Amino acid sequence: MTLPQQDLRSTIPDLRNLPLDRIAELGDSVLAQSIALYQQRLKDNGVPLSSFNSGI
Amino acid sequence: MITTHRLPEQAFRSLASGGGDPDVIRCLLAAQLSKQIMLLHAIAKAAGDSDPMDPGVMAFTAAYKLLAEVQTARQDSFAWLLGLPHISAWAHDCLIRLNRGMPPDYGYLAAAASAAAVRAGIRFELDVPVHDHLVPLPGLGRFCVPDQVSWVRVDGDNEFLTVGAHVKAPRAAVVPDDGLVRRIPHWQGTALARVAADGHSWDVLLETSDRYLDRFTLAISPDLTPDEAVIWRRCVQSAWQILVRYHKWAAGPIAAGVSVIVPLTPRGGNALDSATTPAAFGAIATSPPPNPVILAETLVHEFQHLKLCGLMDMTPLIEPCDQMVYAAWRPDPRPAGGLLQGVYAHLGVARFWSIQRQVETKPDSVFRAQVTYERWRRTIEPSTRTLLGAGCLTTAGTRLVAALRDEGRSLAAEPVPADATAVADELALDHQLTWQLRHSATEDAAAAALAAAFQRGEPFGDQRLPDTRVDEETRKVVSTVRSGLLSLRYLDPGRYREVCDTGMRGPNDTADSHLMRGETPEAVRAYRDEIAATTEGQPEAWIGLALALHRLKQAPWQSLATHLPLIFDVHACLSRAGVSCDPLELAAWFT
Repeated sequence: MTLPQQDLRSTIPDLRNLPLDRIAELGDSVLAQSIALYQQRLKDNGVPLSSFNSGI
Repeated sequence: MITTHRLPEQAFRSLASGGGDPDVIRCLLAAQLSKQIMLLHAIAKAAGDSDPMDPGVMAFTAAYKLLAEVQTARQDSFAWLLGLPHISAWAHDCLIRLNRGMPPDYGYLAAAASAAAVRAGIRFELDVPVHDHLVPLPGLGRFCVPDQVSWVRVDGDNEFLTVGAHVKAPRAAVVPDDGLVRRIPHWQGTALARVAADGHSWDVLLETSDRYLDRFTLAISPDLTPDEAVIWRRCVQSAWQILVRYHKWAAGPIAAGVSVIVPLTPRGGNALDSATTPAAFGAIATSPPPNPVILAETLVHEFQHLKLCGLMDMTPLIEPCDQMVYAAWRPDPRPAGGLLQGVYAHLGVARFWSIQRQVETKPDSVFRAQVTYERWRRTIEPSTRTLLGAGCLTTAGTRLVAALRDEGRSLAAEPVPADATAVADELALDHQLTWQLRHSATEDAAAAALAAAFQRGEPFGDQRLPDTRVDEETRKVVSTVRSGLLSLRYLDPGRYREVCDTGMRGPNDTADSHLMRGETPEAVRAYRDEIAATTEGQPEAWIGLALALHRLKQAPWQSLATHLPLIFDVHACLSRAGVSCDPLELAAWFT
């Protein structure tokens, strides 16, 4: 029997309803971690940070 | 407590099978909005650590404050701005610069925040950078100011906008140029294609002036003249009509997810170049398309990339992987991540042509559609097999690739006329063999051992097949006229017939001419003679020989299709030793 899959949980914090001028109040940890993860992923996936690349 | 974005299982499944309706795209867009806020925060943090008296930092700080006001007053205008690929592209540029210890272009946020405030109609006052007399308002257009200045005060309210000392414009006129709006002095609205078909509309900017969207391999097009803008709008309108009428699965999602087309400067000839980047979600770059069908195909193709980029922002699909592999749409070896992007895009392309081949009416167009469909459909199974075997997919990536494979298999059940299949077969074989000769390498000693075994008359089956590796350039294989003609045969059958009638020129002129005219036995003889006539390798002739034998279904074509680089190396080894060897005899030994 196949178990039902759960919703996919991303690493992107949901910041849509947070006032821009209050984001800093979140503290560095959550956002810094997400930003670091994002930058690392860009590097890992070979997306050059120096230029855009349409290569597939 | 802060939560993270979630993608419903059903949305993942529809994306994994190459689809995704507008609601699914809105899930991706929601995550993109948070991503932009996150990146903006990272830049704000860097600005906070910079010299507060720097004009760029001062402008950024004021702009950030204004954006917060816009967010409070008009959430839609805030989301509109941060949803623009301009802002994403600028934010990525800032990250790059910060990573390299270089100052980012902080001042751009002042231009961006001004655009959001103009759109929201709220009162504001900001210093905005000027480049070559131009004051950009991303997503809207740009002002041209007479003053020779590097900063200008922009002052706006619900009624008017003043830019410096000499420019004043009604706010309602500071909008993109859809070709119908009244022009006002000093303002150039970004060209806008406002298209509609069967009650479905799509507004898409034709952006040619944003420097952060000018980062593709080809340069962004110079500013569109009014006539050029008209041509683009007409083409987008016709492409939209095609998508809405025949490709509804793609039309709605494209309208939901694509806000900008970036016209590129063409390379020349008939080549169409198109591109997307994960750094600018919502933008599709393309050189001028030859016709609306190709633009529709390009939009489908590139939007597939955007969807996958959006999904990969939400969850990793692939782990870091050094392995370089064959991709049926590229001349060079690709990393697994590139193959994943490519197969996802080509599944969309195959779906497009599976429908379009039923829509076309002219015989040449039908043929082109059939071959294109078959050409890309057949790449899905082997590409997904490569990915699933590469060992670098995450759990979500494995699920996605398995779904892509299943979708490809469902397309395989649809019949294709034999003449189209034959052309697609030859295109695939030509591409694969060219790639293998260029990039597949074995040790010289292994080829020498096989050459010796061949000379001793030992069966091939008793030999150990040597390991192969992928190199940047193992052998020099020039792009032949033949490969171009194989493509021309279906891309432009009329032109192909003309070329065949008037003769061809190329390194393997005689043999290629025979092959293209359908004189296949003569082509086999001619390629064989060319290979035998010289001790230097003739990779193009070997590929031609394989193609001709394949067309005749004459042995040993399977050996050539499977082992061509090895056969080529063994033949070269024998030639260097002064041993004359018939290519067909050698290839037959590899059976």
